[in-house]
Amino acid sequence: MGAQKNTGDWSSDMEIDAFRRLFPLRFYERHLTEAIRPDARPLKKCRDTSVAPGAVATADGSALAKIGSTTMLASIKMEVMTPSVDSPDEGNIAVEYYMPPICSPIVRPGRPAELAPVIAKQLSNTLLSSGMIDLKELSIISGKAAWMAYLDIYCLDADGALFDAALLSAVAAFSHLNIPAVSLNDEGKLTIVSEESNGEENVEKEPVNRDRRKLTISSIPLSLTCVLHKNYILADPTGEEESIMETSITTVLNTSDQLISLYKPGGPVLASTASIKECVSLTRQRIKELQDILSDSFASMDMN
Amino acid sequence: MAWGGSDPGCPLLRRLPDQTSGRRTTPAAGAPQFEGLMEIDRADGRTPNQLRPLSCSRGVLHRAHGSASWSQGNTQILAAAYGPKAGTKKNENPERASFEVIWKPKSGQIGKQEEEYEMILKRTIQSICVLTVNPNTTTSVIVQVVHDDGALLPCAINAACAALVDAGIPLKHLAVSICCSLVEPGIVMLDPTKLEEEKMKAFTYLVFPNSSHSVLNKGSAQSENNDETEQGLITSVTHGIMSVDDYLQCLERGRAATTKLSDFLRRNLQPQLPSNT
Amino acid sequence: MAGKPNDAPATYSPSLKNKKHPFYKNSDLDWVRPDGRGFHQCRPAFFRTGAVNAASGSAYAELGNTKVIVSVFGPRESKKAMMYSDIGRLNCNVSYTTFATSVRGQGSDHKEFSSMLHKALEGAIRLETFPKTTVDIFALVLESGGSDFPVLISCASLALADAGIMLHDLVAAVAVSSLGSNLVIDPVSEEESYQDGSLLITCMPSRYEVTQLTITGEWSTSRINEAMELCLDACTKLGKVMRSCLKEAASTTTD
Repeated sequence: MGAQKNTGDWSSDMEIDAFRRLFPLRFYERHLTEAIRPDARPLKKCRDTSVAPGAVATADGSALAKIGSTTMLASIKMEVMTPSVDSPDEGNIAVEYYMPPICSPIVRPGRPAELAPVIAKQLSNTLLSSGMIDLKELSIISGKAAWMAYLDIYCLDADGALFDAALLSAVAAFSHLNIPAVSLNDEGKLTIVSEESNGEENVEKEPVNRDRRKLTISSIPLSLTCVLHKNYILADPTGEEESIMETSITTVLNTSDQLISLYKPGGPVLASTASIKECVSLTRQRIKELQDILSDSFASMDMN
Repeated sequence: MAWGGSDPGCPLLRRLPDQTSGRRTTPAAGAPQFEGLMEIDRADGRTPNQLRPLSCSRGVLHRAHGSASWSQGNTQILAAAYGPKAGTKKNENPERASFEVIWKPKSGQIGKQEEEYEMILKRTIQSICVLTVNPNTTTSVIVQVVHDDGALLPCAINAACAALVDAGIPLKHLAVSICCSLVEPGIVMLDPTKLEEEKMKAFTYLVFPNSSHSVLNKGSAQSENNDETEQGLITSVTHGIMSVDDYLQCLERGRAATTKLSDFLRRNLQPQLPSNT
Repeated sequence: MAGKPNDAPATYSPSLKNKKHPFYKNSDLDWVRPDGRGFHQCRPAFFRTGAVNAASGSAYAELGNTKVIVSVFGPRESKKAMMYSDIGRLNCNVSYTTFATSVRGQGSDHKEFSSMLHKALEGAIRLETFPKTTVDIFALVLESGGSDFPVLISCASLALADAGIMLHDLVAAVAVSSLGSNLVIDPVSEEESYQDGSLLITCMPSRYEVTQLTITGEWSTSRINEAMELCLDACTKLGKVMRSCLKEAASTTTD
């Protein structure tokens, strides 16, 4: 849609655009020597980030997260399961990450994105090992019933730093999650207690064993992806930057400054200890920003 | 070639215990700087800093262009490389060589975990290969898990690297991989078995380039500053919570240990090179 | 540490099924629609173009609880296996999210809607303007709140316009459900589940041409006429809303 809407000097626009397409690396390197990026960001600045909790009405907890134009929609649905014998008083979390064809020109229907299962695995490792959620809180009746939290994250627009946005949306969805109050029915199954109907149908049911409640969220994991190119470190890369400069490091720290994951899958640039330290310190700064964004978004939601 | 040098003169090598050929130097002499940690008992009697016995044989498969079997203790991986083949697949690239990795678990279908391993392995291989030499070709690396007893991914990376050398794929340098695990804050243990891995608080898989014996890197400009020649990290994957300092310690210990690994790999690959001048 | 194996245990949703009796009675004219609308009143429609940056064109539509997002890619190279064609091709795909319905679904492709969307739109697109290439229209239903398919069609035609694909006209779609003795326009999911029949018209409002007409269930000829009048009238109004959305987008980008 861009080309027709451009006004003004056509020739110079075309030249820059052609240079960008033909010699993408040189185009970027020219910017990097000036310590600026094509979208006018300094190298270590992240894109505008926003979080909107409660974006999906049908879910028990949900959130929409945007980093630049990368958009993730996370939703949690609670279902009841029989806990495993090994951990009778624990619920569980199942993480699924989808990249539907709407999100990117490289994803085609019937041919799922190569990256999707990898990000899903990373997300579930991060969420489960970070200790953000106490699985014991998901227990309903020890040994009999527990909650299974199905976390489904949809990428609506893919433009770099996919893991960061997905993790942010997941964390926000868990903060927004309200575990429904349930009661036992005649068939021994649990059903939701609807808030408005306290009439005759509730009489025969067992007393409600839990109130509608929120989870206790401790030490939230948050992340920052950086792209390495030569000696430059670019925080929060766009999709274009990720495809041109292929080395990326994703650092996940939790809010009590513990390292949850430091993920660098290969790439032509080798990371020195100094650049790893730099990435970690950039992540520390970023986490402070993200915490503010999260608390602001929940505060403004509560006001409405 | 990068591994052409025959001088094993890296000082770090002598500081690590060597058990690859069955000889075991005394642990205290092997790693004096970690003496305080020696009280940790490992089921197989190793010191925290000691790797399991390594073995590597190349050319084990006749149909593959290159193959290698790599084992660390009971973990064993069989890797085969096919190619470079004419790029007919969807991932062909007219300007670069493409790679694909197929992970075959010991039994059953591949899941998300294996798909993640495939992706990490593929990106790691891409980073050590000279991609401009065979443009518009695809090289397939097939990794078969023979037995999993901990440190599976590092073992697979080492095996794949040996298979690529065996297939004669042009490489910038070798990659050596190691698993460092954290018993408790501040205590690092190398190359854990599966049983140890499960008990660990956290562990990390690290991949480094092999220690530079190459003539190219001995430029006088770099030798004046040791930090400059420090080996950069190719790949890092972590599981579990640890502090940043613990991670950096893992990095340091892993880097030291890979010197020995890369020496083993180099020695193993050398005799079969046609000419070693 | 690597988490529990992925073969998840059997779970069930604790939400109540069939909790309510049908909210209308066959002969009674006094029932109220679940969202309090009049029988011939549509839900307020919200459209926005440019929802997905990665696409050549895209649109987001929200009518009540129905929320859909459509991306258009191309015109781009057709699949290698495709034969030469001197007119362009259209490729449609519709999928649902796992949380689109109140009970968690599979999030799979909707084959029927995919082919119907293709048929509804191909009459409006000037395929001869992009020979040999393909335009991909991908839709995702974020939340299903009834009348999903008509919303999808309207949203897709806006996305096509946003992508700069040549169209004869925008395509607006409206459905009518027959519930007992009443006709209700733009039904919500609850009404759809109790309907006796449904009628869907997709049309190009400025040209007053119908691209697709789908009737299911039992209808008498006079009721069909009545329902068609209702739909066409609503399509014209919907077309105006869509047009103003495009105008607004165009005026903000030129500023």
